[in-house]
Amino acid sequence: MLKPIKMVVHSIRAAESAMLVILLLGMMILAVAQIAMRNLLGTGVTWIDPLIRIAVLWIALIGAMIGTREGNHIAIDLLNQYIKGRWKWVVERLANALSAFVCAIMSWASILFVYDEYLYDTPAFGALPAWPFELIIPIGFSVMTIRFALRVLLPSQEARV
Amino acid sequence: MNAFLSSGILLAALLGVPLFLVILAGAALGFHSSDIDLMVLPIELYRLTESSVLMALPLFAFAGFLLGEAKTADRLVRVSMAALGWMPGGMMIIGLMTCAFFTMLTGGSGVTIVALGALLLPALRAAGYPEPFSLGLITTSGSLGLLLPPAIPLLLYGIIAQQMDIVAVDVADLFIAGIVPALIMILALYFYGLWANRRAPAPTQKFIPKELWLAFLESKWELGIPVLVLGGVLSGWLVLSEAAAATALYVLIIEVFVYKDIKFGQLVGIMRKSMVMVGGILLILGVALSFTNFLVDAQVPEKIFDMVLDLFQSKWSFLLFLNVFLLALGAILDIFAALIIMVPLILPVALHYGVDPVHLGIIFVANMQIGYFTPPVGMNLFIASYRFNKPISELYVATLPFMVVLMLVVLLITYVPQLSLWLID
Repeated sequence: MLKPIKMVVHSIRAAESAMLVILLLGMMILAVAQIAMRNLLGTGVTWIDPLIRIAVLWIALIGAMIGTREGNHIAIDLLNQYIKGRWKWVVERLANALSAFVCAIMSWASILFVYDEYLYDTPAFGALPAWPFELIIPIGFSVMTIRFALRVLLPSQEARV
Repeated sequence: MNAFLSSGILLAALLGVPLFLVILAGAALGFHSSDIDLMVLPIELYRLTESSVLMALPLFAFAGFLLGEAKTADRLVRVSMAALGWMPGGMMIIGLMTCAFFTMLTGGSGVTIVALGALLLPALRAAGYPEPFSLGLITTSGSLGLLLPPAIPLLLYGIIAQQMDIVAVDVADLFIAGIVPALIMILALYFYGLWANRRAPAPTQKFIPKELWLAFLESKWELGIPVLVLGGVLSGWLVLSEAAAATALYVLIIEVFVYKDIKFGQLVGIMRKSMVMVGGILLILGVALSFTNFLVDAQVPEKIFDMVLDLFQSKWSFLLFLNVFLLALGAILDIFAALIIMVPLILPVALHYGVDPVHLGIIFVANMQIGYFTPPVGMNLFIASYRFNKPISELYVATLPFMVVLMLVVLLITYVPQLSLWLID
């Protein structure tokens, strides 16, 4: 791979990992802080609960993005057990191409969705707009589209970007 | 054209397209053919953020992966062997009980296999059980506690039934009704396990009080986890999602700072591994929401049930049909989605046949429980295949005998309503 591409790939991976760490630790600490505040001060913070619920969505998509790179998704692998050689190659490419196609449709639909939410200024919680929180859907599916497409085009080893 | 595309989607599933994309494609196709804008797909996916309980999934999974990477399994084997090793099939009964216990708290969202599988599989293997048996036992046990309070599916059934306002269903009654059937299931699996390993029974240990005490001291922090979860939830001090957060933080602290089994450097890797799995499961859940909506829009469930109503004359033939139907449904559909769609349809019909509504709730969840590991598409099969890195066909074979045992129990529960109802009346 070319050096600049390598750098981009590495920074994407680092960003994914960093996000996961922040989201998970943040969820734990905020939720436990919420319990502590409720019991010690008798009050809670209203934005913690919706923020954590959004964090779950982000975790879902970032997890799936990484899972796509690693070829590690829940799938019916019945056929794959019984085929070998060239047919396996063909089936894998076909499955990845179909996956890329479905992800592309979802990317497009979610770009329109987030843009709509931006135009109408839909609120998430408090005075915050919803669209930045929803941004992970188009980002996640676009990255998955690219990753599935690369798995069609490149040999298996190099496609793990 | 539509049938052509639908079979295309089925074929895609067989080719190995990830399940969440197969369901997504099905929903997209359905909405598109009903002239509904595909923007509905991300809208439905965003509905994942409506549920507070869901955060329990990543947090319990992370805690489970941490426990899996630490030497928890060794400590747990030691203490359980010391406590129950003198019993025939001691490790097995521990596996069954811990799984039932975890599922009971998490509502069968796949957390059990994710969180406990890494712990129980090596423990069962170390206790001398063959791999297929151990895999089958864990995969089956992944939905074992669904009937035990505070079982979320039973709670959901009660809420839906109450909303329908055609018959009074008390959630507390449902909880009590589930206890005996759940215990029968655990015992049936235990006795089957003893029978299956009769030729090479796992070695039993002599009971040594001192060893039990030492093993207890060694694993006391980890034995505190169920106390934290169950105590927090049952006392009403914590809701399940909070208990999950507290558990994850607690496990992180004891494994990194007390037992020192996990180094700081390993944490990112463990987080990534656990969240890849959770991401896969959550996305399936998220896209199932929109697929379910499409089915309801298309009135598919109603059409099917209208046909059925003409077919069955007696209560018993209806119940038998219900068993088969729910089993298949549980294999295809997420249990919560299935409950939300099917209870409003089935309950009036079941009342028409004279089925007690509390009994129906138990039948419903008991069947769904088996549906979790019904081939070819039961969710727990995929999760176990994923978790243990085994081909799914191997899990089909490993799980089948356990499935037969539980099916017999479900038939018993279905045709002897007293098993569910005698504690209530």
